[in-house]
Amino acid sequence: MTTCSKPIRAFLSWAGALLLAGTLHSADAWLRYTSFPGSKVTIEGTSTIHDWTVEGKVIGGYFEVEPSFLTDLSLQSVKSLTTKELNPRVESVIFVTSLKSGKETMDQIMLEAMKADQHRFIRYKLTEMVLKGDVPASGSPAKFDTRGELAVAGVTQRIDLEVTLERVETDRLRISGVKALKMTDFKIAPPAPSLALGLIKTGDEVTVRFEWILRLKAPSD
Amino acid sequence: MHPFLNDSDPGAEVNRRQFLQNGSFTTLMALAGGIPVGAAESPAPADAPSNPGGSTDYQGKSPTVKVGLVGCGLWGREILRTLSLLANAPVVALCDTYANHLKRASSVAPDARSYGDYRAFLEDPQIEAVMVATPSHRHREIVLAALDAGKHVYCEAPIATTIEDARAIARAARDRIRLNFQAGLQSRADKQIVNLANFLRLGVLGRPLKARQQFHHKTSWRRTAPDPEVARQLNWRLERAHSLGLVGELGVHPIDLANWFFLARPLSVSGFGSLVQWKDGRDVPDNIQARIEYPGGVFLSYEATVGNSFEPELGVLFGTDSAILMRDRRAWMFKEADAPLLGWEIYARRDAFYKDSGIVLGAGASKLAVQEPKPASPDVLVDEKTALQYALEAFLINSHRRTTAIQDFSAAYDAADTGALEEYLADLEKTRLPAAGWREGFESAVTVIGANEAVLQGAHLTYDPAWFELG
Repeated sequence: MTTCSKPIRAFLSWAGALLLAGTLHSADAWLRYTSFPGSKVTIEGTSTIHDWTVEGKVIGGYFEVEPSFLTDLSLQSVKSLTTKELNPRVESVIFVTSLKSGKETMDQIMLEAMKADQHRFIRYKLTEMVLKGDVPASGSPAKFDTRGELAVAGVTQRIDLEVTLERVETDRLRISGVKALKMTDFKIAPPAPSLALGLIKTGDEVTVRFEWILRLKAPSD
Repeated sequence: MHPFLNDSDPGAEVNRRQFLQNGSFTTLMALAGGIPVGAAESPAPADAPSNPGGSTDYQGKSPTVKVGLVGCGLWGREILRTLSLLANAPVVALCDTYANHLKRASSVAPDARSYGDYRAFLEDPQIEAVMVATPSHRHREIVLAALDAGKHVYCEAPIATTIEDARAIARAARDRIRLNFQAGLQSRADKQIVNLANFLRLGVLGRPLKARQQFHHKTSWRRTAPDPEVARQLNWRLERAHSLGLVGELGVHPIDLANWFFLARPLSVSGFGSLVQWKDGRDVPDNIQARIEYPGGVFLSYEATVGNSFEPELGVLFGTDSAILMRDRRAWMFKEADAPLLGWEIYARRDAFYKDSGIVLGAGASKLAVQEPKPASPDVLVDEKTALQYALEAFLINSHRRTTAIQDFSAAYDAADTGALEEYLADLEKTRLPAAGWREGFESAVTVIGANEAVLQGAHLTYDPAWFELG
């Protein structure tokens, strides 16, 4: 396909780097969970005429943690989840082209505002993850305070976020959270169409909700 | 309202409809909460400031999809002209076996490479999407090859001239989940008609009774070429061996609308055909009628001739609560007196005529002021986009969405998990821009293949439900 333009090639090389990084990490025997279909992300926003929502169902990335995560449901012995000194290795990406409002023009304006031709995905890299409160005996749900770097449209910001981690079935995780963000923090001008004489303005603040599904990668995978 | 459309007592007709006199479907639709029939995008005021009050200047442009056209005859060039209106559809390749067609098409798309053989054309890696506008009986081999080559396909309607060919195309399109297939039933993408279909879903017809569709043109339907053999090939529409005749090659569009509006497959068809005006060696009738029966005692009467041009394209839907008249992608509703009052109708604008200034033959009807031609008023909106433009825009956007969806999904998840991918794509289908897919292309083809058989035989024919099965 000739759509395999620069940004896509850049993405493919990034994806290759991610895979390579995963291979290196697997050498230290940490568990590796990788994205699994079923994820959901919504971005809710406002405007002077109506509220709006875009939704996506593709969240890529991985979550790596020590093997004790599987056996110690209280997580107390899982250092990467209880201390700031050691942290799980987590990166995730949301493909901006997978975000849909149900209206083609709005989708295209969103992609343009997010500079999708240069930055095809929103990228998050975790730097800290610390257990918050007690974990139920079942091991789920567990809450964490996290800190990480979020890159949108080429601008990276540090964000603090409370996330909930649930164990689903035997080998899956659901990591969810809600975060209010400002478009202007990422140098995105909130759309205010000039055709509407500036009467329609999109609110700067948006609320991002996500449910990220991951599955434990078996050694043979 | 011309008496041809309703030959009952015209005075009574007028009285029953006085409450709707001077009302238009446009307003009805607007008040019904839908996008009004006749709606066009509002143009920017000429004096709009370029950046008032910190406004942004995002263009919202659709992504580019590179297109190749195979079949550069009259309709193919109409597709080319329409594509040339779109900023996101560069035509990179043209293909036709007839050099003159290629030459003419090249004048519309000067940057496109020309091919005389579709196989070489399909090997062109630049092409992402193929428009197939060849003779209908050539669709199968080209569409299958295009899908095999990994191209999105827009295939003109009817998609094939035999059930076997139509089934082969539909199956291949269904099974290529990574590719977008659209049948050239452009009304299915036309905002005007989509709105009408949605309006019908409100039940405004009452119990559906019947529909009437017609195509009347005074034309030989013949193409000319200096070389007799080329002329014979160009006139494939006039040979039974290659053509579904008027009922299939042209009737597929209005007949598909009936399938869509009635949400049903046809049960049987009675056909009539004669050759009256153009006895020039052709063996397809120039004057046909087909009566198609749907479940529930509902009929569609389709009439087409190339010997007369009165009321060129007309459709009427009849139900126990109302009749809906369609002309040139516009529609009007005529309610029965005993039909339930719709809350918005008292505000409705009313038109009792369209473009025609023909003499109204019904007694008393000529008194209607509405029969006087009126200057176009600003509230009579005309859609600047043609149905074909809507269809091509939908095709390009849906094709691009499918490509990016697969790229996104494959980058995030295990690409070998085709079940999950299918589920994701099925979910994506919910946001697909309205357009005819392989199913509509297939079922409309089966419908008109049966109708053409009935026309040629002058017979009543029952549709075997198995014909509609893909297997």
